[in-house]
Amino acid sequence: MSVHPLEMRSVTKRFGFFTAVRDLSLTVPQGSIVGFLGPNGAGKSTSLRMSLGVLSPDEGQVRLFGGAPDIDTLKRVGFLPEERGLYKKMSPRAIISYFARLKGMSASDSRKRADELLEVMGLGNFGRSRISKLSKGMAQKVQILSALAHRPDFLILDEPFSGLDPVNQQGLEDMIIEEHKRGATILFSTHVMEHAERLCDSIVMMARGRKVFDGTLDQAFGALGRAALIGVEDGYDLNAAISPKGFTENELAGDHWRVSLSAQYDAQDALRAAIEAGAPITSFRPEEARLRDVFVSLVSEAEAEDLEKTLATRKATEAA
Amino acid sequence: MRSIYLVARRDYLGYVQAWGFWLGLLLTPILMGVGMMAPTWAANSQPTRYYTVIEQGTEFADALRAELQEDRIALVRMTLDPVGVLNDEPSDKLRAFDDAIDAGSTVEAALEAAGGAQISLPQADFVAVAPPATDEDSIRPYLMGERLVETSEGPQPLFAAIFVPEDNGEIEYWSENVTSRTLLDQVRAAERKITERKVFEAAGVSPRILNEAEKQRRDITERRARPASSDSGSQVTMADRAPFIASVFMAFLLWFLIFSVVNYLLMGTIEERSNKIFDSLLTSVKLPHMLAGKLLAVLAVALTLMMVWAIGGSVIGAALSGQMPADIRESMFSVAGAVLKPSLLLPAILSFVLGYLMYGAVFLALGSLCDTIQEAQTLMTPLIVMLMVPMFMIVVAISDPESPILSVMSWIPVFTPFLLILRVPTHPPLWEVIGLLVLMVVAALVVLWLASRVYRAGAVHGAGVGDVGKWFSKMLPGKKGETG
Repeated sequence: MSVHPLEMRSVTKRFGFFTAVRDLSLTVPQGSIVGFLGPNGAGKSTSLRMSLGVLSPDEGQVRLFGGAPDIDTLKRVGFLPEERGLYKKMSPRAIISYFARLKGMSASDSRKRADELLEVMGLGNFGRSRISKLSKGMAQKVQILSALAHRPDFLILDEPFSGLDPVNQQGLEDMIIEEHKRGATILFSTHVMEHAERLCDSIVMMARGRKVFDGTLDQAFGALGRAALIGVEDGYDLNAAISPKGFTENELAGDHWRVSLSAQYDAQDALRAAIEAGAPITSFRPEEARLRDVFVSLVSEAEAEDLEKTLATRKATEAA
Repeated sequence: MRSIYLVARRDYLGYVQAWGFWLGLLLTPILMGVGMMAPTWAANSQPTRYYTVIEQGTEFADALRAELQEDRIALVRMTLDPVGVLNDEPSDKLRAFDDAIDAGSTVEAALEAAGGAQISLPQADFVAVAPPATDEDSIRPYLMGERLVETSEGPQPLFAAIFVPEDNGEIEYWSENVTSRTLLDQVRAAERKITERKVFEAAGVSPRILNEAEKQRRDITERRARPASSDSGSQVTMADRAPFIASVFMAFLLWFLIFSVVNYLLMGTIEERSNKIFDSLLTSVKLPHMLAGKLLAVLAVALTLMMVWAIGGSVIGAALSGQMPADIRESMFSVAGAVLKPSLLLPAILSFVLGYLMYGAVFLALGSLCDTIQEAQTLMTPLIVMLMVPMFMIVVAISDPESPILSVMSWIPVFTPFLLILRVPTHPPLWEVIGLLVLMVVAALVVLWLASRVYRAGAVHGAGVGDVGKWFSKMLPGKKGETG
């Protein structure tokens, strides 16, 4: 049985009185693409830095390829940090080669690889320019290339899409897919849900330092619940018409009704029930759940829970 | 090991490819040369100033001329035979010059008599002219530059007028310039000599007897007590002084290198912090390896500087050695030989490496806390003040290498590297040398350990200059720093 590239077990990290990550457990299976989602300050970067051994957890355990993260294991990992930065006076070729050599590549291989990657990314003409002469987007591409130049088994990318224009974002998505095809396992954090929807096998969602979801995309959509959106003529009470047929959770949302679907029904069943009830239907479409909605729903839930806990603690303190 | 090499290589190439490195490489020796030559240039570039003495007779004017001549005599003696002057062992040339001066020759004539005609004598700073007037009111326009006096260079302004009354009244020194004190000091010296002579004469001692007494003064030969078995006689030679000169030179070199190269560490780390490279580095290299690589890179920069300067100095030295008097050449070889002696070289190398590690680690740690040079400056000021102390100690060692203050201060770890070198030629007890070396090793290790912790705080946790203040406030009794 092969070991997972990353396992975190009940990991907690505090900075003073602030708990940045609380009781986080996650597994990144071999060959998967995992999206690490959450709003700013959710604890994503802290978790990723712990997974690499840059930060040590206060509680819990981190296993990288089955062992504690050390510099030898990290040679199998490519990391793009959230805070971008390169040596401004070096050339892209020299930087890519430098980081590849630090990860164990030979000097000549690292230079060949740098030339090859720069060519693929359309930066072939800038290989020997200084980083300070490149645009921000170009510099970011160079940093991404320096993270994957040594052909790592596991790529950890912290907000890789931020700062890139749509064309370059697409380019990066293609590159991630290519790396995955090559056999690399990929974990990336983002708050742009569309990238996760297109790329990930599974996702981990964080809010306020806690994991609020961990599963496949289907499971994520399932968590949100499905619905049919049915438009009727003004003044018609669709709820009253279809409630007796088993569709009991209906709400008017603007010019249409949102009919929640329980497990045994689908959107067509709801439409059929409305037609049978003689409703004056003007429009119909199944609700397309987006990861954004799942995210907002889960994060709001977690925040609401946190708020409740805070209030309860405050009350208890006041009572004491 | 490979990662240490890679970090060191990258940093080294980064430093030596910067134009600032080349500027320092070329400008430092030029500026040092300018610094050494500046007093001579200043003396030569100063225009001749003209003065006049208003008196009955020429007694005071003669005494003043003799005083003014002494400086030029000293300069010529030093040029003719520097080693002989320093060691008080005059060569034939110097003796011939001294005899000519004693016989009443002018400096120019004495120089010619000593066979130093090729030496270009600097012009005199002050030259006497005949008084253009005899009372203060009439002489004032000359002093104010409204009227000029006739000189060998044509009409020139009068710099000063000295009124010497016939009786024992006050001598008055008139000049428009109140900042240059040289002539005034010489006037005072001349007056002191005249007064002394008068007092001796009054007591029945004639100037001839005084001159005779001066001539009969016996030479004092400095001898050094050595073990009876030693075959190098008791005569004190340049070989005896060479270790002291060499130790001062090496202590200064160490100070200069630490002072100049540790800045590279500071700047390099600030660049990495402000460019946010730490996370990429820390996931590729172990922190101790990264620090070692960085320290090694700057050490290599220092060695490069030293090597280039040493090669350049040797080439220039070799080119000039043909024109150099044999005794000066021998003295230089003597000092170079003393530098290369293991008894001095070994502690010097250890002091340099350990001192560099100690200060280098501190500057690395400081750099990791700062985003800008301005931030770094607030933390650097106390360090620079501390680094100035060894410089003062070098000055103390020049006059008294066995001073107790050097012995005491050498036990303060931050000064040990510099002061151990200065103390080595005085042959301190072996236990003390070993003790100081051990102290340096321990201090370097403690500083490296602390610096790596501070570096980690700065690089990983983003601690900054503000946090240093908080740490200090936490340490103060009765004060609690904020946590965050």
